[in-house]
Amino acid sequence: MLLMRLSEITKNTVLSQTACAQYPGSHCAFFGVAGMVPLIKNSYALLLGPAICLYNAKLTINLRALTSDPRPDNLLLLSFFQEDIIFGAHEKVKRAVIEADSKYQPEVLFVVTTCTQEIIGEDFDAAIEEIRPEVRAQLLVIHTDNFTCEDAAPGIERTFFALADLMQLQAVEEKSVNLLGLRMPGGRKTEPVRLLESKGINIKNVIPSYSTPAEIARAPGARLNIVLEHYALPLAEKMKESFGTEYIYCERPYALDSVELWYRQIAGALHIDLSREIAGLKKKTEENVLQLKDRFAGKTFALGIQQGRSFDLARFLVTLGMKPVLLYLNRILPDEDKDIQALLSTGVDPLVVKSGNTLQSDKLLAELKPDYYIGHGDRRVLARLGIEARNLMFTYYTPGFAGTQQVLGLLCRAPAGSEVLHYKEQIIKNAEGM
Amino acid sequence: MDLVLDSAPVPSDYFGVLWALAGVKNALVLEHGATGTAFYNAVSFGVMNKQSPKGIIFTTGLDEDDVVMGREDKIIQAARELDELYRPEIISLVATAVTSVIGLDLYGLIAELQSEVKAKLLAFPGGGFRGDYTRGIKEVFRVLVDEVVTGPAERNDRAVNIIGPTIDSFNHPSDFAEIKRLLGLLNLEVNTVFTSSTDVTQIKNLLAAALNIVTRDIGLEVAGLLEERFGMPYHYGLPFGLKGSIAWLEQVAQKLGLTVQQKAVAAELNKYGYTLAELTSWWQRHEQLRIVISCPYDYALGLTRFIREEWGLEAAVVTLPAAPENPKAEEIFTALDVSKVLIAPEAEEFKAAMAEMKPHIIFGNTYDFQLAPEAPIQIHAAIPAYDYINLYDGTPFVGFRGSLYLTQILINSLNKRREVLQF
Repeated sequence: MLLMRLSEITKNTVLSQTACAQYPGSHCAFFGVAGMVPLIKNSYALLLGPAICLYNAKLTINLRALTSDPRPDNLLLLSFFQEDIIFGAHEKVKRAVIEADSKYQPEVLFVVTTCTQEIIGEDFDAAIEEIRPEVRAQLLVIHTDNFTCEDAAPGIERTFFALADLMQLQAVEEKSVNLLGLRMPGGRKTEPVRLLESKGINIKNVIPSYSTPAEIARAPGARLNIVLEHYALPLAEKMKESFGTEYIYCERPYALDSVELWYRQIAGALHIDLSREIAGLKKKTEENVLQLKDRFAGKTFALGIQQGRSFDLARFLVTLGMKPVLLYLNRILPDEDKDIQALLSTGVDPLVVKSGNTLQSDKLLAELKPDYYIGHGDRRVLARLGIEARNLMFTYYTPGFAGTQQVLGLLCRAPAGSEVLHYKEQIIKNAEGM
Repeated sequence: MDLVLDSAPVPSDYFGVLWALAGVKNALVLEHGATGTAFYNAVSFGVMNKQSPKGIIFTTGLDEDDVVMGREDKIIQAARELDELYRPEIISLVATAVTSVIGLDLYGLIAELQSEVKAKLLAFPGGGFRGDYTRGIKEVFRVLVDEVVTGPAERNDRAVNIIGPTIDSFNHPSDFAEIKRLLGLLNLEVNTVFTSSTDVTQIKNLLAAALNIVTRDIGLEVAGLLEERFGMPYHYGLPFGLKGSIAWLEQVAQKLGLTVQQKAVAAELNKYGYTLAELTSWWQRHEQLRIVISCPYDYALGLTRFIREEWGLEAAVVTLPAAPENPKAEEIFTALDVSKVLIAPEAEEFKAAMAEMKPHIIFGNTYDFQLAPEAPIQIHAAIPAYDYINLYDGTPFVGFRGSLYLTQILINSLNKRREVLQF
């Protein structure tokens, strides 16, 4: 297995796969698109592909409906068969677009390709151009050539980018901003929105966060784009180029000083003073940290893939007295080398490994035996190894100090049923060892 | 136009191949494709009783260069690695849509690689473009019989094989437990389940059984092959209902020259033989109930017979997700008073049929329920059932216990939706 120490990582490091035969590997761009398009109101997405991709995409969105963050199923499926590969599918796709337009009357219809179309190289863009005048919906084509992608990121980026085509030149409103990169409901109820609005800043758009196409169209009326995740950078660049909208990139932080700086960066760009509010929120969070330090002091952890600045999260956990022994990584985000150095400066130098190979990962965890695994771990395996499983994915919904508070809450409380899972796995393990 | 919103496409042969292979321990699957395809399978396995492809399915993580150059080195390296690391007895090389389109010759690759690895290499090149999942399952069954089952073995006269269940079989834990229990009434044991919950050794030893019991029509082809090549008899059918279970026991017994103990049957009927007539009141009328069955062929047939012959009701519409093996399937259902049989209908066709008949009860999958949300009683009886797990092995649909369980479900559902019986 290819392991590195964090100190060996640079911003140019490309992590190699840990095995030739992987399970499960990484998500694909198509997955990224299919997960994001439901976040645009009054839209449908026409997914073109073989049953392999479409069946799984549909199951995924339907499973999502059973979760605490259900997403509307706006995925229209058009299956591709062998004859479509051999004879082409332009006409079929055009008919499907026209049918989708008249039957569902979306304001926006995404047309999403999969690997199959990308390999055969059929020019779907041309087909879409042909019928554009015939349909009422705005058509946005998103290509997903998944064999060129390392993970789902290009799909999410391309979906953000495609939204630029909905935008129209607007008169710019002073003291107004867009937040780019909240892929969740309730984007307008978050801590940064509340703080900015309290200073008279108009949050013009939170994208995507269930924006309507009309709201997205008006996005260029904002003075500034605040890019909250790297996926939205191509859209921010495009808006700057097309509409002159300036942007600042401030990926989601976790450590208290980082959140403070994050708010200062935003406040500075908007020429507002958030010092009092930041100090209050920081103090409250510091108090919570102090209360929990004894509980987590000396505990080791492995950190799976996390939204936002994961090295900053690791450093926050270090401030709790915890020690990272293993970090999983897919890619290094822009500006993340500073977070790496900051983490190293705390005196830790954990192992770093590329994610996506769970069997190898299980072996590594068995060797390292961290107290906590933080991320999408196999709960049964972790319980067998005596490792506490935690998942911080819900911190995504609460940027700012609220997110850091959320980290503390999620760390403290094991998921329902965890105790008995450990109990029975230990019995099984002991019996198997006899 | 085959535009689908509230439903999912019929799984392709690619899924059938994975589902039929995944139940075989010590046999690994190496799919050649982009990693996203393998990752997605965590979802499609997860909706079937929270199963996981972990430790079973691996991906080569094919990239742009592999596609452009048609390179084989990734799959070769990955196969070698799996062979060395996990020492499996079988590695199946499975094509995805991408591999199928670029036309990689998996058989040629095996010819080149087989001598270098200890595992037996098998190829499944369909890639999801050959047909529905039944085709993939049948392909795996055939290949395993051709390539893995070893020659004549000493037969255990008291052992039978169950041919048909694969990891996608709805309610398999419970149905298998009940079938095993029924076979116990004849003092028979199960040699192997082909291919759910089995291993390579058991498949090799398939011929050690005295009889093959085929529970799904997709197992008939290999049952025929095994009979032709090795003289192994087979019995085909599922034991639905009280009468159906007794008939099934008698047929199995007859094939093996055994006798069904009437006392044992009577004990079963005493314990589990509660019928609709004795569990409902004179004030409850059921004959007006409109019932839809939407399941794979064998389950659909078993349920239809049970409903017709034991509940004394009618299954008005039967929907099959894939074409059955039996070309006379429609006639069989018609003879059971089914007024409409839909085979692999489009979502819109199914929706229209439901809107027309307004069923009270649907036995089906979760997408059927989405397409007919107004049906008051919805009983999971097929996959995809992404909102339902049935891991507990005490909820069979088949056998004596299945008869009682289904009757109990019907009565409880009617009590919950009491408006269904009201004038």
